[in-house]
Amino acid sequence: MSRPVPAPSALTEPFWAAAARGELIVPQCSACGLRFFVPEPACPRCFSDTWDYVSTSGRGTVYSVTVVHRTPGAGFETPFALAIVDLDDGPALLTHVIGCDPAKVEIGMPVRVEFRRLTDEIVLPYFTADGIGD
Amino acid sequence: MAGTLDDRRAVIVGVYATKQALALPDRDPMSLAIEAVKGAAADAGLCPADLDGAQVDWPGPGGIPGDGSSWARMFGRDLRWTSDSMLDNSGVRGLLKAAAAVTAGYADTVIVGGCRLVTRGADNAPIGAGVPVEFTDVWGSYVVAQFALVAARHMHEYGTTPRQLAEVAATIRNNGSTNPEAMMYGRGPYTADDVLASRMIATPFHLLDCCIVGEGGAAFVVTTEERARDLPHPPIAVLGGGMEYHQAPYANPALYREVGQIGRDAAARSYAMAGITASDLDVFSLYDPNSFEIIRQLEALGVCAEGEGGPLAASGAIAVDGKHPVNPDGGCLSYAWNGTQQMTLKVVEAVRQLRGHAVHQIPDARLAAVGTAGSGAQHYELAVLGRSR
Repeated sequence: MSRPVPAPSALTEPFWAAAARGELIVPQCSACGLRFFVPEPACPRCFSDTWDYVSTSGRGTVYSVTVVHRTPGAGFETPFALAIVDLDDGPALLTHVIGCDPAKVEIGMPVRVEFRRLTDEIVLPYFTADGIGD
Repeated sequence: MAGTLDDRRAVIVGVYATKQALALPDRDPMSLAIEAVKGAAADAGLCPADLDGAQVDWPGPGGIPGDGSSWARMFGRDLRWTSDSMLDNSGVRGLLKAAAAVTAGYADTVIVGGCRLVTRGADNAPIGAGVPVEFTDVWGSYVVAQFALVAARHMHEYGTTPRQLAEVAATIRNNGSTNPEAMMYGRGPYTADDVLASRMIATPFHLLDCCIVGEGGAAFVVTTEERARDLPHPPIAVLGGGMEYHQAPYANPALYREVGQIGRDAAARSYAMAGITASDLDVFSLYDPNSFEIIRQLEALGVCAEGEGGPLAASGAIAVDGKHPVNPDGGCLSYAWNGTQQMTLKVVEAVRQLRGHAVHQIPDARLAAVGTAGSGAQHYELAVLGRSR
């Protein structure tokens, strides 16, 4: 079994199109202003069904992390650092932190988005340590 | 329908567990479901025609797979209550819905349970949502990793240690080591060091921190206090219950700040209905997909304060002879995990404890908490059970 590939829906096609051009966008509610993820049919705070995608800085901090040594299917190189990242200007999202030893990824670590291509259509938002001086 | 509200209080009068094993290659899911239904009915002193409600898995062949009304022809009677949801057919969620039905008078005697083998056939996929999830699957975030992300944050905030997790795993696994019905019977005993020395699955969880995966079925029968009066076993009353659903499983990662204490509201409702506090509970039959989830539940259920679950669990308090015994049967870590019906086994164990004939009996157990949960702590269901006479 190979790594699962996301199947974009009407809700998520803009997200993947933006990722393919190197931009991390998230839904923002037109009524209450909440930025949320994953994309939903309506705002998870005020239930407004009017929202638009907005750009984020792509910077954030690690909220939680697990170093995964065993996956249930093939298609992943282990170990990898599976993390929840709190965006500085947006919601939390699931990702991998790459570019360093997975065991060195710590809660609270500053990170920034780094896009990597998975297939012709899908480019994934990974994160990497946001080093001093950047 | 007859009787007062007290007469219609929901009680459990029959329980049954099939053989649980890592694999039951000679058994198909339908035969296990039938055995579970017949076994629970017989334990209740009832025949199938006495059952007018079925929240029971129907794996097929025959009938319509997944549709509980398929059982009507087997019972030889029309049903007054049914379910076509695997989660309504098991555990505390199944129990509370059946209890609501009999207390309201929609049905008199409801059976809950069945068998749904997730390790075979079309279901032989990574254990997660069971359907493709766009922003989860691509990152390799399956059930163990989802729980690991909750555990890691709790450890960061409260200093909970891998050794405390390992103590939980060793304690519950050792209950199963000496339970002849357990999948892992005879394996062990384990020390915390053994758990810490087992290979890493997803930090902080080692292999022995994680539950087993196997096969088996189970069922229980819920009826009214009035109907239970001439049945063989002392009825076990549903004294209180509550359910919490934060969001659909797996669509989003479980954030500790959102779900770390999920179960607290369910516990408050359950205890208020039962007129008890956490310290009144004699035994806990809790979902243990991993060692940490027990630490989290001790906090959410109010046995201790948030952040104190690690030291409490590692102190010996959750052992069979401890102050707050958890999973004397060995739980999902050692007795059985079998897909969704492991949740039903949690009810079965609590009923056996309250009847007084469990394998590892807690002396004079009068009040039990049964907790079922899942999906990286995105939902929680709790019932308080007790002897009704």
